[in-house]
Amino acid sequence: MYAVIVGSSEIGFHVARALLAAGHEVVVIEQLRYRCQLIADELGSSVVQGDGTDAETLKSTGVGRADIFIAVTNRDETNLVACQMAKHTFNVARTMAVIKDTKNEPLFHILGVDLVVNSTHMVVTTLEEGVPGRPLLHLMNLKVPDLQLVSISIPEDASVVGKRLDAVALPPHSFISLVVKGNHATLPSPDLIVEGLDEVVAVTMDDEEQTLYDILTGV
Amino acid sequence: MEAVILGSGRLTNLLLPTLVKDGYHVTVLDDDSDALERLAAKGKIDTILILEPHIQDYLQQANIDTSELFLAMSDDDCRNALMAQIARYLFNVPMVICLLDDPHLQELYTELGLDVVGSSSSDISQNVRQALKG
Repeated sequence: MYAVIVGSSEIGFHVARALLAAGHEVVVIEQLRYRCQLIADELGSSVVQGDGTDAETLKSTGVGRADIFIAVTNRDETNLVACQMAKHTFNVARTMAVIKDTKNEPLFHILGVDLVVNSTHMVVTTLEEGVPGRPLLHLMNLKVPDLQLVSISIPEDASVVGKRLDAVALPPHSFISLVVKGNHATLPSPDLIVEGLDEVVAVTMDDEEQTLYDILTGV
Repeated sequence: MEAVILGSGRLTNLLLPTLVKDGYHVTVLDDDSDALERLAAKGKIDTILILEPHIQDYLQQANIDTSELFLAMSDDDCRNALMAQIARYLFNVPMVICLLDDPHLQELYTELGLDVVGSSSSDISQNVRQALKG
C-alpha cells in the first residue's frame, strides 16, 4: 500500500518506520528542514518538505494514488484540513488523524475522517489506570464507537454489596457480562449476590461509564 | 442578536461597526491578549482570550449556542476551517462565514458548503457584508 504521512514528530516518525518495515511505500510531508533530513537519513524514506495542507505540496507526493493518508502533526486544525483535502480534493479512500483536543473527536467523525485517534484521551485514561487503588479498568474499546468493555472492583462498603444482581438498576446500555469472585469467573445470573471485592466485567457506553461506576462503587 | 468572531485582526476591525449598527451583540475570541485589549477599548463588545486546551469551551462561554452568526476571521486558514466547522456542525450556528487565504482551500470549503471569503479580494469587508445579506 501507498501511505502519505503528514508530520514527522515522534508519532509520524514511528508510523513511517512501522509501515516501511511492513513493506509499504511511504512518503512523509514535513515542514522543518532538519526533520526532513532526519527522516531521510534514518528511514531512507521519501520526504517532501512542505505544508501538508498545501495542495501543490500534496500533489507533489502523488497523494492521488495513496491508499491511506495519515495526519499526525501536533495541531488538530492542520490534521483536519489535511484529511479533508486528501479526501475531497484527491479522493484518498482512507484518512486517519490524531487529535489533541478531546472535544474535537465528534467533529472529525462527522466530517468523514475514517479513523480518529484521540491521543489526549488515551494517555489520560492510561495514566488514570496506573494510579493505585482505582477500581475501574478500561479493558478494550469495542468496534462500535463509544462502546467499551470495563472492569470494576466492588468496594467492600459499596451499597450494592449483598444485593441480588437483578436488584441493581444499571444504565440502559450497560450490561454486566461476567462476575469474578476470587479466582472464579461466573456468569451474571439474576440471583447472583454481589459481594465486596467482586470484579465486575461490563459492557458500557462512554456517556454511561460514570453512572455505572457510581452505581457499582457508591457507598 | 448574538455574533461570535474568531480573530481580532484588520477584518474584524472593519466589520465591527457594521455589526454593532445592525444590532448584533459581538464577542471576539483571540489568543492575543494585547489585540483583544485594543479592540475592547473601542467599546461595545465582549472579548474572550482563548488558550489551549478546550477551545470549544470558549465558544460556549461566548454563547455560541444561541448565536446567529459566527465569523472565522483569524490569520490562520486551518484554525478558521476547524472553528467554522465546529460552529456549523457541533453548535448549528445558522450563519457561518470563514476567511481563507489559500485559493485551494477556498475552493475545497466552498464545495463542502461553507460560506467562504478570501483575503486576497479587493474589498474583503464588502464580501462579508454580501455573504451576510445573501
